[in-house]
Amino acid sequence: MKRILFSLVAVAVVSMAFAQPFVWPNAWTVAEPGEAVTGGTFRDYSISDPRTFSPVVSAEQNAMIDTIDLLGASLLTRGPDSDEWIAYAASEFSVNDGGTVVEMTLRDGIKWSDGSPVTVQDYYIRYLIETDADAQSNAYDSWFLNEQQIQLEITGENTLRFTFPGPDRLAFPNAALLPLPDKIFGEAYRSGGAEAVRALWGTETPVDQILTTGPFMPVQYAPGERLNFVANPYFGEWNVDEQGNALPYLANYNITLVGDADAALNLYIAGEIDTFGPRNLDDIGVINVAINNGDIDAVMLEDVAPVANSQFIVFNWNLASDPVKQATFRNPNFRRAMAHLIDRDAIIELIYGGSADPMYTSVYLVNGYWVNPDVPTYAYDVERAVELLALAGYRNRDAQGFLTNADGVRLSFTLATNAGNNQREQIIQIFADSAREAGVEVITTPIDFNLLVDQLFSTGDDRPFDAILIGLRGGSRDWPFGDNVNLCTGGLHMFNTSGSCIGANETLVDQLTKVGRQTLDTEAAREIGFQIQQAEAEQSALLYTVSPRAHYSWLTDVRGEHPVEFLNPLLGSRELALTFKAQ
Amino acid sequence: MLPFIARRLFHLIPTFIGATMLAFLISQLVPGDFFATKALEPNVRPETIERLRAQYGLDQPIYVQYVRWVANIVQGDLGLSFSSNQPVTNLITRPIQNSMILVIVSIVMLWAMAIPLGVYSAVRQYSLGDQIVSTVSYFGLAIPNFFFAQVLILTIFVVRGFTREAFDYNQVLLPVAGMTSNGFEDMTRFQQFRDIAWHTIMPSFVVATAGIAGFTRVLRAQMIEYLGSDFIRTAKSKGLGARAITYKHALRPAIIPFVAGIGGLLPSLIGGAGLVEIVVSWPGITPRLLDAITRQDIYVVLGFLVISTLLLMVGNLVSDLLLAVVDPRIRYS
Repeated sequence: MKRILFSLVAVAVVSMAFAQPFVWPNAWTVAEPGEAVTGGTFRDYSISDPRTFSPVVSAEQNAMIDTIDLLGASLLTRGPDSDEWIAYAASEFSVNDGGTVVEMTLRDGIKWSDGSPVTVQDYYIRYLIETDADAQSNAYDSWFLNEQQIQLEITGENTLRFTFPGPDRLAFPNAALLPLPDKIFGEAYRSGGAEAVRALWGTETPVDQILTTGPFMPVQYAPGERLNFVANPYFGEWNVDEQGNALPYLANYNITLVGDADAALNLYIAGEIDTFGPRNLDDIGVINVAINNGDIDAVMLEDVAPVANSQFIVFNWNLASDPVKQATFRNPNFRRAMAHLIDRDAIIELIYGGSADPMYTSVYLVNGYWVNPDVPTYAYDVERAVELLALAGYRNRDAQGFLTNADGVRLSFTLATNAGNNQREQIIQIFADSAREAGVEVITTPIDFNLLVDQLFSTGDDRPFDAILIGLRGGSRDWPFGDNVNLCTGGLHMFNTSGSCIGANETLVDQLTKVGRQTLDTEAAREIGFQIQQAEAEQSALLYTVSPRAHYSWLTDVRGEHPVEFLNPLLGSRELALTFKAQ
Repeated sequence: MLPFIARRLFHLIPTFIGATMLAFLISQLVPGDFFATKALEPNVRPETIERLRAQYGLDQPIYVQYVRWVANIVQGDLGLSFSSNQPVTNLITRPIQNSMILVIVSIVMLWAMAIPLGVYSAVRQYSLGDQIVSTVSYFGLAIPNFFFAQVLILTIFVVRGFTREAFDYNQVLLPVAGMTSNGFEDMTRFQQFRDIAWHTIMPSFVVATAGIAGFTRVLRAQMIEYLGSDFIRTAKSKGLGARAITYKHALRPAIIPFVAGIGGLLPSLIGGAGLVEIVVSWPGITPRLLDAITRQDIYVVLGFLVISTLLLMVGNLVSDLLLAVVDPRIRYS
């Protein structure tokens, strides 16, 4: 697959006819051309209330802010069928100077939900606010590459220029900037600074004052009950389907706010919401029974794709107070032996009922393009583990049958995970059972999540834990190797937070991550990504376990979902603008 | 009476300070803070976490944080939520109102069911009916609310299966979750009232059943005691009917402890209906409080605690005063 994210050629221009609407491809939905029906209400749900309606100051993002903000007029976008960025609110864009300069021309006719025009100033004010540390924006960190700030300037009445400190694979997500109403946020920022911005659009703000450029605008909000949207009439002026119909198709989009996923499942079975994300086989069973009984007329898609997160065991390399254990944890043969003791098949069958896949690298399985299929997998093999432990210095057995080193020190460590996560608690128990077979004593301790995180992020030469099972989420389709995780100085470099690289492979991963992020040719970057995964696997600092699979269900009259090949946790199940209700 | 009230009000101050100090201290004993989870996001730099902690004052010593917090409370400010950057007062007002609806209806249901049952048990002591009332009410006490709610939801679905087969009617007879229906905002006032009442029936019944056992047993014991007393015997000898004796002469004094306990209900009004609110997705205090606890959004948690503490103290005072009003034997000086 030939995919070029940035062209190293001097100018690569992607053009669309000026002042033409953006045409949503038929390929993004299963609906036949002309099949879509206009009108109707899509009844969605959310497990929690919005924390704020402000797109810039929230300490965390959630789905409802996404609905108001992220579906709006981003300068660039990309569909589920390709990783290539395309012009959206920009009518055209060009990439110059080795990928360090991106110039945009704003499409004509884009309006806020109150009918006022969107201007380049609306994009620029978002940049100004998000790059002000005092504004506490979630996006603040993304505006820095190698500690240098990305620059944005207005270069004309409807043109903008992004200047990046250097070539960077994560540049386009920044260039896909969303607007913010300058007449509200800009005015507040200029008169009251970041503090005034932080006070804007809290959840007590009447929702009809919240402006959006997205397909739906909020009209009613009842905390803890629901958030209702109606179609934004101005969205259809610059967004059409291939048949020229204005989008969105739906007239209303309602989000029922529930405090608990079980309550949402009850509502779904009662036919009061249109969709539900089954969490496990129990949910699937309940839905299938409801379908078979005729309670609901619904689609149930099981085992669609792996989820977009990872679960792994990490050993602490910074244990100065226990030199024997520290030396053991730093020994690659020990860690490879531990990798051989993860019985992924048992985990998949016993914990996930077969609805999971083994995971061997840091890249989420659902991000398949970047997954190196040839990394060492360290299949479950107790005998091989014993051999490797002998190489690590543990050859003898004590009276209880546990392995000891030449000094008689038993191979024993504590493996923690966050209490309350039943699946993780079971995983560490299965691992401990396997380890016992090999003669390794693993003491499992579920502990409070925050204590776990505190231990993980402690720094220095002597950190207060042996091993932890934890997971990561979040990641990029452009470059799924986080600096924070892979660089020896990274805040999420969990196994070694001393600030400097210790192992050879650790150094290699550090260097490859820096080089790969600056490699704009996607094929070449992917090759570097493969090398990173190979080095990670040889190093075995993080021992990956399994990746559960995602499931989807919706009532059959909700149509317009992604074709099944583009339907997964990374790409989503549907484009809201292309969703419709069969009448 | 007035000096008594003044003295009690004065005593509330150290009690309140002690309670808030304890609550604040306990909240600080929990490891980590709101931003610990954020630190696990690969795109967030550690210095950003530190900056956010500093901006919210979490890098200050505990006593500094406490003094600032109490100083704000005195000015009517319960602090700022970390997760929403909004004043805590805005976030907790509506859940408190919603919980009060559920709790008030459940208390009315409790009294409506428990008083007749308690009276019946007293006047038909050791009868089959008395045994059945005891058994059923203890069943209500023993079964966890959240489980009973789920059982009722399941029952509603089973009934739907029956109505579908029998009458081709495929709708649930009672709502299984939420406080209002879709389209609530477009209803008339009367329709809105009816809609909320409709949603309240099942969860209120669940909450009420938990209290029936205790209520009926105490009322039964009180009634039995009064029914055997001299003034009842006098009433009987004067030829009064059984109904008048039971309801006019025995029930009135027997119910005094419950009337006096109304003041004590104040904190329970905002205490919410517990996990029932989670199971039926009632937008009350419990979901909001649990969410805040999970996220370590401590000022939201403490906000609820402050309001609860205040109501508990005021409720106790009201209880004492009510007792004096309804029972002429009690006088404060």
